[in-house]
Amino acid sequence: MTVYLTLGAAAAFVIFVLLLKAGDQESEVSAVGESNYGNRFGPVNGLQPAELAIRIFSQKDREFILRTRSSRLQRLYREERRKVALYWVRRTSRDVSQIMRNHRLRSRQSSNLNVAVEMKLVFLYVQLRFLCGILLVLIQLLGPHVPVNLAARAGELYQRIGRALSEVGAVNRAAPPGSIAAS
Amino acid sequence: MLTMAIWCVGTLLEILVLVRGFQAKLFRLFPIFYAYLMFVTLDEFVRVCVYRWGSNHYFEVYWATQFLSLAVGSGIIFEIYRVALRSYPGAARMARYLLLIVFGAIFAKALINSSGGVFTWLAETSLVLERNLRIVQALAILTLVSLFFWYAIPFGRNLKGILIGYSLFIGMSIIQITLLYHSWDLIKPFWTYAPSLSYLLVLGIWARALWSSQPVPEARADVQLENDYELLVASTRDQFRRAVARLGWGIRA
Repeated sequence: MTVYLTLGAAAAFVIFVLLLKAGDQESEVSAVGESNYGNRFGPVNGLQPAELAIRIFSQKDREFILRTRSSRLQRLYREERRKVALYWVRRTSRDVSQIMRNHRLRSRQSSNLNVAVEMKLVFLYVQLRFLCGILLVLIQLLGPHVPVNLAARAGELYQRIGRALSEVGAVNRAAPPGSIAAS
Repeated sequence: MLTMAIWCVGTLLEILVLVRGFQAKLFRLFPIFYAYLMFVTLDEFVRVCVYRWGSNHYFEVYWATQFLSLAVGSGIIFEIYRVALRSYPGAARMARYLLLIVFGAIFAKALINSSGGVFTWLAETSLVLERNLRIVQALAILTLVSLFFWYAIPFGRNLKGILIGYSLFIGMSIIQITLLYHSWDLIKPFWTYAPSLSYLLVLGIWARALWSSQPVPEARADVQLENDYELLVASTRDQFRRAVARLGWGIRA
């Protein structure tokens, strides 16, 4: 009985909370949509150049500070770099979220949307957000230069994203757009 | 006396929602919803008449009309899907697949759990059967609402009101039936009023939301976007690549 009660109450509660937030989200989304229509398929989130990332996390700076043999300077350096790394990962996580949101806003009108590709995208998006979360924890605990293996994991994840999304080309070319929508 | 007063207010509210629907021409937008409301209103009169002049048949009439209203009510969920996703073929396609998965999972669960066959739940008591069907409705609504939020589908005040009201009605029904079935002694003092009062709340929500017509905001027609799904996926892939690369470079360097 408790299960059914919880189910019913939870369902009613979730729907209510979601619907109450609907108004805010609608206006927020329409604002996002407006700002992105003029910039079709282009970069929408102002990604920072990769060179900047390389500079921020540069091992050269670290080695330079280590050579000074000043513990105070080294502590300051670690603190600052940790903050920058955290900001960097948070920003990336937010950008990934924004990319997915823009994708959703556009794909919802697409008559030849491919459900399998969308599912894969959602799965990879969740993985990527999870990865960012793990990175944040590791940077907090171990510092910005430690989680190197996760960087490799991020690279591998990208390869999978590429493979998953390239499949859509073949699928869409195999069937004309109208035929899928009619099914 | 109080029960009669609640019943009268409820019926008046139903008639008010129907009249406003006809005046504001909302019945053209939501024909199934208004058909349902009309059915429920007539059903109440029929039940009162049977209770007064043919109480021997009240039980049969009650359950027959109850399941009919449940069937017509399921049409409301279809109407919510139809109206909300009219301009969003991509999201509609996703909704169809997700609902198929949800119903498939429910069917599979019924298949696994029932030792005497898939349809043994039909032989359950009417109350349990109604609760089970309401749970199926709740799952369908939850799926749809989740999808509406994922794709940021705008509702408009009318559709939002119908959705909130019907969701609340289903949620309350599940809770009430479960309590009725398992804890009758506990809820007995409140049972006379609780369902009627919660239904009044639902009618109040409908009356407010459907007082005047406010159409569902139309999506901006973007023919090129509709045809460029491939391009859109490629663009998303490219942006993901840049984001991941940034993360990878950031840590590796």
